[in-house]
Amino acid sequence: MSLSSRNASPPVAGAAQIPAGGWWRRGGFLSAIGQAALVAGVCLAGWWLYGNLVDNLTRTRIPTDFDFLTQPTGFAIPENFGFDPDLPIWRMVLIGVQNTFLAGLVGVLLASIVGLIVGIARLSGNWLVARLAQVYVEGFRNTPPLVVIVFFSFAVFSFGPLPVFPEALDLKLPGSDSNWLVLSKSRIGIPSLSAERHVGLFWLLVVCGVVAAAGVWVWRSRHHVRTGEPHHRLLWALGTLGLVVLVAFVALGGPYAWSWPARSENGRRLISGFGTSAAYLSLTLALALYTASHIAEVVRASILAVPKGQSEAAGALALSPFQRYRHVILPQGLRIAVPPTINQYLNLIKNTSLGTVVGYADVTNLTRTSIGNANPAPQSIAVLMGVYLVFSLVISLLLNIYNRTVQLRER
Amino acid sequence: MTATAASDPHASDDRKGPPPRQTAGAWARENLFNNRHNSALTVLAGCGLVVLVIYGARFLFVTGQWEPVRTNLTLLMMGTFPRTEQWRIVAQVFLLCASVGLIWGGLTASARDRSRDAGVPFSRARLRDGIRRWWPVLVLLAVLLGMTRTWLPLAFVASALALGVAARRLMEALGGAGRRGAWFAAGVCALAGWQVLSGTGGIAWWWGAALVATAVARLTRNVRADARWQPAARLVTVAGAVAVVRVIYAQLDFGGVGWDDWSGFQLNLVAAAAAIVLAFPVGLLAAVGRRSELPAVRWLSVGYIEVIRGVPLITLLFMGDLFLGFFLPTEDPLSKVTRAIAVMTLFTGAYLAEIVRGGLQAVPRGQVEAAWAIGLSAPRVLSLIVLPQALRAVIPALVGQFINLFKDSTLLSIIALTEILRIRESIHGQREFLIVGIAETLVFVAFAFWALAFTMSRESQRLERRLGVGER
Repeated sequence: MSLSSRNASPPVAGAAQIPAGGWWRRGGFLSAIGQAALVAGVCLAGWWLYGNLVDNLTRTRIPTDFDFLTQPTGFAIPENFGFDPDLPIWRMVLIGVQNTFLAGLVGVLLASIVGLIVGIARLSGNWLVARLAQVYVEGFRNTPPLVVIVFFSFAVFSFGPLPVFPEALDLKLPGSDSNWLVLSKSRIGIPSLSAERHVGLFWLLVVCGVVAAAGVWVWRSRHHVRTGEPHHRLLWALGTLGLVVLVAFVALGGPYAWSWPARSENGRRLISGFGTSAAYLSLTLALALYTASHIAEVVRASILAVPKGQSEAAGALALSPFQRYRHVILPQGLRIAVPPTINQYLNLIKNTSLGTVVGYADVTNLTRTSIGNANPAPQSIAVLMGVYLVFSLVISLLLNIYNRTVQLRER
Repeated sequence: MTATAASDPHASDDRKGPPPRQTAGAWARENLFNNRHNSALTVLAGCGLVVLVIYGARFLFVTGQWEPVRTNLTLLMMGTFPRTEQWRIVAQVFLLCASVGLIWGGLTASARDRSRDAGVPFSRARLRDGIRRWWPVLVLLAVLLGMTRTWLPLAFVASALALGVAARRLMEALGGAGRRGAWFAAGVCALAGWQVLSGTGGIAWWWGAALVATAVARLTRNVRADARWQPAARLVTVAGAVAVVRVIYAQLDFGGVGWDDWSGFQLNLVAAAAAIVLAFPVGLLAAVGRRSELPAVRWLSVGYIEVIRGVPLITLLFMGDLFLGFFLPTEDPLSKVTRAIAVMTLFTGAYLAEIVRGGLQAVPRGQVEAAWAIGLSAPRVLSLIVLPQALRAVIPALVGQFINLFKDSTLLSIIALTEILRIRESIHGQREFLIVGIAETLVFVAFAFWALAFTMSRESQRLERRLGVGER
């Protein structure tokens, strides 16, 4: 690193204020020269490396531009049947981003729920529950996530007790012919919703319902401030929304219907319901369980960081243990937990790249396959890194905004 | 990072001392059945636990097919390491044990001396505490030795441990000058172990030079300390010593196995250790740079740190695997392991930078101002005042980062390096184990990682408590 030679410059404030030596010690002259030299050095080094790269690429007849992005992809994606191999590579990258996002989002949700529960369980007064939670946390936290993912993929699915796909295990709804779950080593089908009629109108009404629910929320809050009665605004708002959705659903004659998972005649694929792959499930479940163990530690530390007096005061007010958690401890503790949890979310999303090992078609895996199809590696990896950087930046930006709104409540 | 987890003020119930004697029934009433909710929870969790324990025990002792692990134990541990060179590993383990024993004894002895000076009673760590703290590693050793079913490895491990303990006792018995010499001996042992294993060619002499230079600089520190030419003379002496080391190394040649030939669990350990050691200077520079007042330095550091932290390690490993060599003008590229370790170093450097920055921020401003007030120059403020305090505070976080890196070393399997996970995969390419013991080999690998990572993380939490990080 060429950074090294210049870093002797003052690391701390106050260096420049010491008047000593000749004219060159004044007015930041030396530091300007030093910085210019540093920047020039880094630029030169970068230029040298870039030149080497271009030379080597030209020598081995690898293109040095980004034209490959508009070439056809040339391979099908197992996760997305609709993907046409003739579509350009940039579309492939988008599909990969979508798959990464799908794994990351579901993983984050699961990890948050499990992490919160386990984190609270670790502080339970019940010795057995606390110990079990501790075993869970210490077990997962100290095991490589990749091993967990591979375990799910191979030990649970590929070589597990489930049948090979065409002979999948169909779990029927009692008293009907539809499956609610199709289980096999490679593909798993779950019920989904299929659009029937008036879908646009239905969603319009749902939006109206959300607006109405917001109105009810405001009304209940004001009512609470005016009269001091309990507001129950969440219950009221959800009730309003539920009512609107229910009425709209019935009035429009069922805009959505359940689509139960079923296999096609030749058994090759799932023709209805939502089909997902064992790779996706292994990746998401393993990452969720792994990250949950970290989030549980964050939650535990944050709850412990709430002064004990708060809990004791809540007890003195005769709040039940649940009320104590709900109204006193969690609101304060989770505020402390937000920044480290953001880090855990980002880690989880970056870790979805491990799906490469189990064949999940995330953006890393697709890029790797595309490099295997003789597309230039440096540019492909640059695009991949760009994708992850955008992911990280956008998510940390959003979550930091959220963090700021949460932290503002502090007095 | 979850390093914050252990620094909370009222988390450490285990420090409260022994609880008053209590009957089992009273304890259960208080901790398991103190109200209806808890009773229900206890029964539910108890049932779940019983099922888990029965299932787990059946898997471990009855249904589990451990044959693939047992037959391939050497392969899993050291992969394709040349079998004729195995004595190098044996020698290295002995030397390492001696070194660790000396260092450990030295730490105990200085703790004892400190307590004596402070007039506090000193209690030496007991065997029971050792077992309580190190049981996962001991279980791992027992599993490994139990699976080999021969006496030689047992004798080897036992004698290595005995050597370590003896070195520790020796160090504790020494005083003053003897102990200082023994510190140097610990360094020499560690270095010699490393070089018996990996040879003395290439850049190996750097390490020897670093060790000798440190020792010579230390020894000559107080010689004619008042003379104006003393620093220059010291510098010349050190340079001369380094030159002597270089010449000696050029004469030495007793072979060795470089890291290109390492694989299995050994590669995981070595890659993680090498990356964290090499990344330390990088991280230190980037951390100091990020806090610099000079915008160019600051922005370069921020750019490096944030870009690296924003991308997954795999993408960097792909870069290392596919085209890192293309950045160099030479025709013959670096070896695969070297490129992987270079990339891991680059990756870890950014994380270490953030850790060290946390430590730098924890140094009170008054310290720096006081240092300026007594007229220290900027580099001296940094090296004498700021860094010693900052680095002491971040040791636990560094251990945490090492654990992460150790776990992440499994990612090397993705770029086809034969670390333990890859070896596990290849075991199931053997004809007799095609579909035998898939879960068992994975459980073994997971346990090997778990035992080491768990012990390290607990030790670092202990260290964190002892250093009182976050409590002052």
